[in-house]
Amino acid sequence: MKASIAVALLAMSALAGPAIAQPSTSPNAPPPATPRASSAKPAPAAADMQAVLDAHAALGPKPIETLTPVKARIQPSAADAAIAVKRQKGMSTAPDPAVTTKDLPYGADPMQYARIYRPASAPSDAILPVIVYYHGGGWVIADVNTYDATPRSLSRQLNALVVSVEYRHAPEAKFPAQHDDAAAAYAWVLKSAVGWGGDATRVALAGESAGGNLAIATAIQARDRGLTKPVHILSVYPIANSATNLPSRMDSATAKPLNTAMLKWFGHYYARTPADLQDPRINLVTADLKGLPPVTIVNAQIDPLRSDGETLAAALRSAGVPVEQRTFEGMTHEFFGMAAVVRGAFDAQAWAVSRLQPALAK
Amino acid sequence: MKLVHALIPILMLGATPAAAQVMAPTEYVKTAGASDLYERQSSELVMQSSQDPKVRAFAQMMVAHHTKSTADVKTAAARSKVAVPPPALTPLQTELIAQLRSESGPARDARYIAQQKAAHGQALAVQQAYATEGTAPPLKAAAAAIVPVVQHHIQELMKM
Repeated sequence: MKASIAVALLAMSALAGPAIAQPSTSPNAPPPATPRASSAKPAPAAADMQAVLDAHAALGPKPIETLTPVKARIQPSAADAAIAVKRQKGMSTAPDPAVTTKDLPYGADPMQYARIYRPASAPSDAILPVIVYYHGGGWVIADVNTYDATPRSLSRQLNALVVSVEYRHAPEAKFPAQHDDAAAAYAWVLKSAVGWGGDATRVALAGESAGGNLAIATAIQARDRGLTKPVHILSVYPIANSATNLPSRMDSATAKPLNTAMLKWFGHYYARTPADLQDPRINLVTADLKGLPPVTIVNAQIDPLRSDGETLAAALRSAGVPVEQRTFEGMTHEFFGMAAVVRGAFDAQAWAVSRLQPALAK
Repeated sequence: MKLVHALIPILMLGATPAAAQVMAPTEYVKTAGASDLYERQSSELVMQSSQDPKVRAFAQMMVAHHTKSTADVKTAAARSKVAVPPPALTPLQTELIAQLRSESGPARDARYIAQQKAAHGQALAVQQAYATEGTAPPLKAAAAAIVPVVQHHIQELMKM
């Protein structure tokens, strides 16, 4: 009898679970319970996009939402798959030698460094405009190496320095560490760009996914701290809306390489408490957006974050900010850097470049 | 009743963070072994063709250090009574080696350096995670000893 009470109590304690647990900063912390499987079928991908998704599947990635952070960090990425497609097509997989790189620290933590991309053809005494770029990965996975394609391409196409910012990752450093690092890197660029051939009066912000969020959030911080205003913001499929019932969260619930369960997984590791998800730095659609520079938003049709970009564009418009947003049909999350093998990515980059070019001109 | 009292500390455990899901010793050994194998194969490939003394010196150091870490993990695994199967590349590592084979000259060097930067970030994540919470003490100690070696490689790569 007593034993059965004990069993019942134990079962209750198991059900109560870690409700009042302190959030763990361990890269071995277990993932959240996986949400019920969605029956939604994502829209079909364009043939060249599908070829990358197939190459990704061939590399055997495990579902991120079922893994610990350390195991998630060693999975093959969509960018790895795009490079594999290049090899299959007989193209070079080497980074474009028309752009050189140099790594410089902007803070004391080993993760606080930036990779500066510079066109190899630029004269050594040239003063070039600057794009500060933030990579994606939900603030938990991926790094400047994973996101090499976009900054390299922007540097070449815009004859600009692109500063790709590494930052501390969650769960080791939780929100707002990434936002703090992004803002610190922007201030560092304004202060030190002249030392490495950058024009601190012509600085744009850019980013993909979690980095697309950082680009907007950093512009807000710059405004509030009275720093030099960026001349333009390129925000590619940003995290920008914490509502759980957005259309894209449903219709792209099982999309690849990003699904809705992964968004919950990222939040589980980067947020200190559920309240962080409502912070205007993450839930950008509720932020004070007034006075921001012109914004370009790129979205993919087959992406649970599509509605974030669309609703952010509406919020920016309401705040009087000049904004253009485009959703690229048949494209998925992470497509933007794949211009060498995916036509939609080529078109999206060309559009983004055409928006950035006049803003960065003297 | 006594039993219920005895359970109170257990119930309170429900308020602590959920237990870490650190890699099992066999998974750590397999992951570290694959990473070392990729390092050796890619570095040997680049040494066959590279004319760049900096790349050659780095590749030579990679072969030496990753041969040593494989041996150290093997010794620690034996002490932990963990079987060490022959290391095998993951599908991604197999693809990375194929990319190096398909390049030549400075393009191979450049692809090698780019791969090394990505692979060392991942290797550091694996070693740090096991060094912090690994369950087999000899392997945990081996991981802790490998961490500064990987950090040194990352510092060298930042100059390239």
